[in-house]
Amino acid sequence: MFGLRNAGFPFRMFGLLSLALLVAAACGDDDGGGDGGGTPTGGSPAGGDIGSVEVLGIWGGDPELPSFEAMVAPWESETGGSVNFTGTRDITSILTTRVSGGDPPDVAIPAEIGLFKQFASEGELTPLSDCPGLEEKIRDEYPQSFIDLGTVDGELYGFFMKADTKATVFYNPSFFTENGYELLPEGSTFEDLITLSDEIANGGVVPPWSMGMEAGAGSGFPGSDFIQQLILNEAGEDVYDGVVDGTTPWTDPAVKDAWEKFGQIALTDGFTVQGGADVINATNFQDAVFPPFTDPPTAAMAYLGAFAGGFITEQFPDAQAGEDFDFFTFPGGKVTGGANLVYAFNNDETTCSFLNALAGAEAQQIWVERGGFTSLNSNVDLTAYPDDIARKAAQQLLEAEVFRFDLDDAIGGATQTAIFSGVTGYLQDPSNLDSILQQIDAAQGGQ
Amino acid sequence: MIGRKWWVPWLWLMPAMALLSIYLIYPTLDTIRRSFFDERSRDWVGLDNYRTIIENPNPLINDTHSALLNNLIWIPVFTGVTVALGFIFALLASRVRYEAIAKSAIFMPMAISFVAASVIWRFMYEINPDIGTVNAVVTELGEKPVAWLQNTESPQYWLLETGPKQDIGPIQTNNLALILVGVWMWVGFAMVVLSAGLKGISTEILEAARVDGANEWQILWRIILPIVSPTIMVVATTLVILALKLFDLVFVMTGGRFDTDVVATLFYKQLFVQQNDGLGAALAVVLLVAVVPIMVISIRRFQFQEETR
Repeated sequence: MFGLRNAGFPFRMFGLLSLALLVAAACGDDDGGGDGGGTPTGGSPAGGDIGSVEVLGIWGGDPELPSFEAMVAPWESETGGSVNFTGTRDITSILTTRVSGGDPPDVAIPAEIGLFKQFASEGELTPLSDCPGLEEKIRDEYPQSFIDLGTVDGELYGFFMKADTKATVFYNPSFFTENGYELLPEGSTFEDLITLSDEIANGGVVPPWSMGMEAGAGSGFPGSDFIQQLILNEAGEDVYDGVVDGTTPWTDPAVKDAWEKFGQIALTDGFTVQGGADVINATNFQDAVFPPFTDPPTAAMAYLGAFAGGFITEQFPDAQAGEDFDFFTFPGGKVTGGANLVYAFNNDETTCSFLNALAGAEAQQIWVERGGFTSLNSNVDLTAYPDDIARKAAQQLLEAEVFRFDLDDAIGGATQTAIFSGVTGYLQDPSNLDSILQQIDAAQGGQ
Repeated sequence: MIGRKWWVPWLWLMPAMALLSIYLIYPTLDTIRRSFFDERSRDWVGLDNYRTIIENPNPLINDTHSALLNNLIWIPVFTGVTVALGFIFALLASRVRYEAIAKSAIFMPMAISFVAASVIWRFMYEINPDIGTVNAVVTELGEKPVAWLQNTESPQYWLLETGPKQDIGPIQTNNLALILVGVWMWVGFAMVVLSAGLKGISTEILEAARVDGANEWQILWRIILPIVSPTIMVVATTLVILALKLFDLVFVMTGGRFDTDVVATLFYKQLFVQQNDGLGAALAVVLLVAVVPIMVISIRRFQFQEETR
């Protein structure tokens, strides 16, 4: 080192001291300090205060966060407990870091189930049967398909709330009637949708579609949603299930066909108002929903999940549900959808009480009435939905004959990233499709 | 040091040394250790992570080649343009009466954080001409709006509509757009340091040169630049280290999507999104190794300067 020409003894002292410090630092890390949970439960419940519960979720701002707070307010006032909620879109990385650091939250409410399955099989989660009355309530009031999704190794670990159907194509009914466009009848196929798009494109008024992929780190997810709808409806449930559990490769002709059909809508000249792969990739997914509803409209249809209804009503407060905006079911009638999964890392009395309240119809109904929320609890009254569109979306989800959980959320992890990157890459260079599908396969295989 | 115990200086140094050991030396050694283990740092995998970096088997989830190439292009372009522009501004500013105002204006972007600058420029590059200033200018000139942050074509293609359509390696429109933001932020720093360097040239030399009949260009090339070159080296070194460390700008503007990834954003994503500790650590080690030569040069020069005092 510089300047230590005459070092000798002091230098050796320093060397020994820093070595000692390094050893001390190395000894005091990870496994030593884990004390799990870390919530002050009860203590001495003076006057009915049962402590606080720490919740990690994805909702950050309007309108979702205030709605969640409204939903848990009754539990807080009844039991005297308090909810410490942290919202972050980066929930996967935060959860992983906290769990491996020995300091998980009490409750987590993410949207993807890949990490949930990993935590459950590693024994980090509390089975719902640990909380008195909770498992019976879920089995009683929730649809079987969602109970199955929350079950790992035969044990029920989580329940779903805030579901969203993704089989919705939004359009402007008054625009359609003004220009004489007919909605697709029941039993239509994707080919009929192409015919309708051709008709609108040739009509010369506006392009038929508006599409946007940009969503920060999740860019490409609207394309993934569209493709999974195509896989389910055109290729069938068996292929869909095969892709989820890895038995059907992404290079399978049925899967490749779904991608190419998506490409037909996105890339055919004159089909999108964005007019090119670069612009589609650069357009924010929320902004892409607005063109059919501006005055005058600049596109005819926009595909996005039912949550887009919330964006439309917020952007166009005067729009009338059913007249100015509506959705029709994605051709084929089979429904994919996503939902937020609720699961817990401990079985404290506070946590259990909170979970019981959250799963119940009263709490769910509060958010339902505020809009932008479909409840899976069968005890929630359909009249609670704020407008016809929200009710229609809820019905589509609850009454679906064939329902499948969102494809990329179901697989999760690195494969989800690969799928999203694959979508934007495919749009930029469709000739790359085979190589993209091979890479998604490799990513899923390594998971 | 007459009359002072030998261990007193060490006593004062001890807290800093302790902190350095815990927060710098230990993490560095641990990172190097983790680069030889698997994703969850449980099993030894030897050089597998480094092999992944070299072979790049799955560009869809972690394009290591693209990240390395992008860092490689940031270094010359970012450093070169910033130093050149900084020097030109310093030179020009010293000849006008409103020098202080001009320099303050150019220096202002340094006052905001990288993240803030990134957010500003994200809006500037917006595809919608009603929001994106750059595209507003482009549409005024009669062209179609360009997706600055997503477009991976080589600039010559969309300027001249000839030549290879796809990027020549990392020379892509969106990479250049990002470098522009970096330059915008740091040209003030380069200008201020170079201006100080320029002021240090004694006027006698310049006068003597003018008397001898040298024109302004010759003065610039033969006198000013050689005298100022140590200062230029200092600025260049700082900027090269910055280009290697670069994270916030790329992360906020594109998240590393569309082939704009750099090593820092890539290993962040490996660590926190893909939960692949091994590959993330390996990338961090690669970065460390890349920076070491520059640090050595810097420290050698510092030592040299100390000795010649």
